[in-house]
Amino acid sequence: MPAMLSRRHFLSNTAGGLGGVALAWLLSRDQAKAEARSGGGVSSAVTPHFAPRARRVVQVFCCGGVSHLDTFDYKSELDRSHGKSLEGKGENLGFFGQPGKLMKSAYPFRQYGRSGSWVSDLLPHLAGCVDDLCFIHSMTAKSNNHTPATFQMNTGFTLNGFPCMGAWLSYGLGTVNENLPAFVVLPDPRGLPAGGSINWTSGFLPANHQGVGFRTGTGAPIANLESPASLSAEARTADLRLLAQMDRDFAQNHPGDEAFASRLRSYELAARMQVSIPEAVGIDGEPPAVRALYGLDDPANKGFARNCLLARRLLERGVRFVQIFNGGSFGSPRINWDGHENLRENHDAQAATMDRPVAALIQDLKQRGMLEDTLFVWSTEFGRSPATQGIDAPGRDHHPSAFTCFLAGAGVKAGYHHGSSDEIGYFVGEDKVTVPDFHATILHLLGIDHKRLTFYHNGINRRLTDVHGDVISDLLS
Amino acid sequence: MYEPSTMSAPAPWFRRGATALTALLACCLETSAAVATNAPDAAPPPSQPSEAKASQHWAYQPIRRPTVPVGGHPIDGFILTRLSEHGLKPSPPAEPADLVRRLYFDLIGLPPTPDELTRYLTDSVPDRYERLVERLLASPHYGERWGRHWLDLARFSESTGFEYDRLRDNAWPYRDYVIRSFNLDKPYDQFMREQIAGDVLEPLTSDGILGPSLLVCGAYDQAGNAQANATQRAITREEEMEDLLSVVGQTFLGLTVNCARCHDHKFDPIPQRDYFRLKSVFDGVKHGERPVEGEAERQSRMARQAAAQARLNEINRDVAHWDDVAWQAARPRRPQAPAEPGPEAWMRWTFEEPGSSTNAMGEAKGGAIVHSGQLELPSAGAYFQSVPIAVDLREKTLEAWVRLSDLGQRGGAAISVETLDGSQFDAITFGERQPGKWTAGSDGFLRTHDLDAPVETAGPDEWVHVAVVYGADRWVTIYRNGEPYGQPYVTENPSPVFKAGAAHIVLGLRHHGGGSPWLTGAIRNAAVYARALSAQEIQAAFRAGGFGFSKEELLAGLTSEQRTASEQALVALQKARQDLLDASRPGPVAYAGIRVQPEPTHRLKRGDVKSPEEVVSPGGLSAVTAISSDFGLPADAPEASRRRRFADWLTDPHNPLPARVMVNRIWQYHFGQGLVATSSDFGVNGARPTHPELLDWLASAFIESGWSIKTVHRWIVTSEAYRQSSRAQSDALRIDADDQWLWRFPPRRLEAEVVRDAMLTVSGELNREFGGPSFRPFTTTDFNATFYFPFDRGDGEFNRRTVYRMNVNSGKDPFLDAFDCPDPSVKTPRRTVTITPLQALGLMNSSFVQRQAEGLARRAEATAGQTGANPILAAYQIVLGRSPSREEAERAETAVRQRGLPEFCWALLNSTEFIYVR
Repeated sequence: MPAMLSRRHFLSNTAGGLGGVALAWLLSRDQAKAEARSGGGVSSAVTPHFAPRARRVVQVFCCGGVSHLDTFDYKSELDRSHGKSLEGKGENLGFFGQPGKLMKSAYPFRQYGRSGSWVSDLLPHLAGCVDDLCFIHSMTAKSNNHTPATFQMNTGFTLNGFPCMGAWLSYGLGTVNENLPAFVVLPDPRGLPAGGSINWTSGFLPANHQGVGFRTGTGAPIANLESPASLSAEARTADLRLLAQMDRDFAQNHPGDEAFASRLRSYELAARMQVSIPEAVGIDGEPPAVRALYGLDDPANKGFARNCLLARRLLERGVRFVQIFNGGSFGSPRINWDGHENLRENHDAQAATMDRPVAALIQDLKQRGMLEDTLFVWSTEFGRSPATQGIDAPGRDHHPSAFTCFLAGAGVKAGYHHGSSDEIGYFVGEDKVTVPDFHATILHLLGIDHKRLTFYHNGINRRLTDVHGDVISDLLS
Repeated sequence: MYEPSTMSAPAPWFRRGATALTALLACCLETSAAVATNAPDAAPPPSQPSEAKASQHWAYQPIRRPTVPVGGHPIDGFILTRLSEHGLKPSPPAEPADLVRRLYFDLIGLPPTPDELTRYLTDSVPDRYERLVERLLASPHYGERWGRHWLDLARFSESTGFEYDRLRDNAWPYRDYVIRSFNLDKPYDQFMREQIAGDVLEPLTSDGILGPSLLVCGAYDQAGNAQANATQRAITREEEMEDLLSVVGQTFLGLTVNCARCHDHKFDPIPQRDYFRLKSVFDGVKHGERPVEGEAERQSRMARQAAAQARLNEINRDVAHWDDVAWQAARPRRPQAPAEPGPEAWMRWTFEEPGSSTNAMGEAKGGAIVHSGQLELPSAGAYFQSVPIAVDLREKTLEAWVRLSDLGQRGGAAISVETLDGSQFDAITFGERQPGKWTAGSDGFLRTHDLDAPVETAGPDEWVHVAVVYGADRWVTIYRNGEPYGQPYVTENPSPVFKAGAAHIVLGLRHHGGGSPWLTGAIRNAAVYARALSAQEIQAAFRAGGFGFSKEELLAGLTSEQRTASEQALVALQKARQDLLDASRPGPVAYAGIRVQPEPTHRLKRGDVKSPEEVVSPGGLSAVTAISSDFGLPADAPEASRRRRFADWLTDPHNPLPARVMVNRIWQYHFGQGLVATSSDFGVNGARPTHPELLDWLASAFIESGWSIKTVHRWIVTSEAYRQSSRAQSDALRIDADDQWLWRFPPRRLEAEVVRDAMLTVSGELNREFGGPSFRPFTTTDFNATFYFPFDRGDGEFNRRTVYRMNVNSGKDPFLDAFDCPDPSVKTPRRTVTITPLQALGLMNSSFVQRQAEGLARRAEATAGQTGANPILAAYQIVLGRSPSREEAERAETAVRQRGLPEFCWALLNSTEFIYVR
């Protein structure tokens, strides 16, 4: 169990945001009275269905569709079939519908670790982590199109407007640190994923479960976090004291309406967030060894390493779900894994941002003992075709019929491989895993029965897993 | 944090377990306890669903006009009966000032001004309240308030959502249509009919055209619809239809017909067949824009255009005459330029059909105009798109004559061959990477080289001949006026094969989805050759185009009289062109959808596009037994008749659902909760009505009133139930904490839009302009998709009411978002209410609230200056509609002395009393 920082730690060890501290004190004193009257505060952590293995989740989502065939799914048969036709292999779900000939991986593969897991030369750092990873080589997605497939991976549905997994977890499990959002999203500094903030919507769940997308550039991580620059801490405290008096009077004059007391409390939490969020994102104090581990100062990762380190800090401080996007949607040259034109060129560039920081995050969590009760998820929306896109072209088209994701940490087998694709990585070979299965398993590890985490909306008791999903018990440790 | 009302233990209804059924059955059935237990858009119904057969379910039964309990207001009779059954008593009347504030927020979504409030409180006429109700119902702000409720149901989006999330510039006319309809108290049956089939009803009105925007104003998966894989395209369309059918089913009927897409509905008597009969009704509805002008307006515009075209043709003949004279005079001086025919093109556009925006091979779009043998491209957005190519295109030559409106333009193309989604293309681009130069543009610049070639110098009246040849050997050669332009080169990447049916030619556009892709000017005589032309052939093509002489050469052969006449003809031509442009400006368009005659609809086994079963005919829902759901239409019935028949079925007064559903919605927006808590689900799995007789009384009286929504408001807001105090009473709280029996008026937090609008009102900054295009408080960047970056500005249109904010999917406003403003793509029958720290941060720190606090302080000072009163008193009156107590006044005095009036105003705007309506 990692050493969770206490609330007092934030309030006492932070140089900035004195106004916030003062207010926190002020309001908590007021709140104590209000709660004494109303008979208790609000507890937002909810009892799970059964004993959880994981208490928090970090998900790395690689936008664009990472080629399973050039990363973790070694296919010697594809080497042998290089240049042969796809004919007779069954329906091709490529987006552009111009499959060429089979193409062997652009990279040599080697075996690593005690588990002897195959990893391509593209990912030397992650190759060093394989004994901690639990691969699923038989993933399938419903759509061959980025956004619906990304929506499915994030929300279980291919359409707009459904709550994403982080929102479900916030709804289902609440938060363990009210001073931080329960669900934080760290978009790639190079750009947002396709669909932007739609990807972390709470859909029809209440707005408090929405993912809070941190701005990764300069300035405050979230909108309206900072008090206006013109206000001194004392001035802000005085204004808030007046407001607190007004609202307390109002609540007292309207007994029986708990919402009015809750509003008072929301200002207290807001004031705490003003302190705790800057503290959480303040990575300047991280020791050189940690900075080096993530490659923080290496321009090659284009700012992505900072988000990985940030994720660890947020998890440490009780954020329930952190989602890190690797890659955005569009750019020229491309800023995601969508290697249509030239797989090798594209994946080289993307791996340079992703490999080391993600490996560092896994190692860092492990060193701190956090991997014991943190679930690490690495995913992408679909894989890439074993055939080229177009004749004699070096790229690969989208491929939802088989691809690889991996888990690590709490409750999953380490150095393990679940399921397989067929001999050329075209369809699933054994133990097909659907996105609902994947989600059901993640919820299970968090102590939630995916069939019982429901929310009524427009006539249906909605679930993350719709009407599908089986927990993949084979990979549970 | 959670709103307390959403923190209560799960209701028994919610705990009903049903885990033994299969996953498929579970779709609509997973009702066991949620881990966390809140269901804000549906308070659980008070009783178990009946064990009786689903078809006996109350909602499907005819509306019965119940006997009104004796005495008083009919509504109160029903309410009092239930109250006394539960040992409850109504609350005393609300304070008049509280009631007025409540009524303002409920009916127009804005607070009363201190003057309005005072006038009411000092008015001694006995019917002052009724008069106020009438005044507010007559206010144009009423439609803005109630229109917004409707837009929640309609999942009204002003961007496409999904991957591209592009702006829909012309979605707002539907928003104005909704607002207008509420303001006019348009009979609700007509409102429904227009939104289902307004475009096919007689007579055709612009409201009729706009109404069915409802069907298409949700998200649209552009990439999914354009992709190469047919199965995936079909799935995309099925998803789109589920969205459409669920908005129709839930909004008008309160039925989750979408649950029957893959199987018979598990609770309601809706067989899967009915889902597909309904799908057949709407199968011809597709996304897109269409003109909204009525028939008369269109006729008059066409007449103006024809006259301008005739005049232009006349002048063109004049110009052509002088061209011919000049040409004949010039030829002897350059005998080597024979009028030989050029090489034969594979596709050629000469634009010689005057006045027509289409020809056999394509269509002018986005304001492009075809006239006098040319394609006029007056502004960004205008281009010409061909029909899909008929055979595969491998090696090729692209050619066009171009007149550039200005040489500073960037990134447009004269001619381009692209895949249907625009993701791959080869084009003759102008000024794309190099200002003023021609290049062979391509997707990702894969086949593009920057050229060492002269920048273009042609004037705005000069035609330039450009061509690019793509050889099979990867050679690319560009020509200008028949001569090589820059050095030919070999590309690193081969040109893609543009597949028959999967690519088309565009003129004036680089490719779909690109940034800044438009060329402005004009194009004539454009052609595509399905082979690589030789240099000699390009020369011949250039000469054959008829522009082989320079302006100087042509003029040199003319006498001075001829020259004058020729120049006058050119001046007249300029004017005539402009006149035609003005006359041809297309009428307004709206995102109201387009129509096709669909193929017969098949039922799909398990909803799977690969498992079509029997053909079904358009029809209604068989669960409604009082009227026939059989439309007597064949499976291939004309598209228009399908929706007309459905509109008749829907609005039949014997259809028990629409009236019940609508009066319940009105009730919900007044009291925060409907008589049926699940206001878009009246099915077996939905909530039971708390007051079934009252619901039926309202529904039947609604129909009798001629479906007048304003009449229902009058009944509700004049009831004692509505006019009672909102104060909590501990005894009553113990019996009915949720206030479902209405022993008090339930206090409510203002919705996101109302918070913002109310702040703008009290600060005096509200811009009350009605209707028109939405304001856009964000910047955008476009790279295949549109990305939104919100900003906060406090001038002009940015101070308009929130209902006029451009409602884009990924460009949500963090302030509104925190106050539970829904995702535009979600059909929202009832807003959730949360109280969160992010809300508090927005109110504390946003520049918007700071600015309103300063505006309020200025207004309070000004008011005080006029009346000699204290600005603190004025601020209390403006914001809260009351005077401060002595203690409050003293506290405020101290605060203002120490911190200033704007800071005190900030506290007022943050206060619970302001944010809540009682």
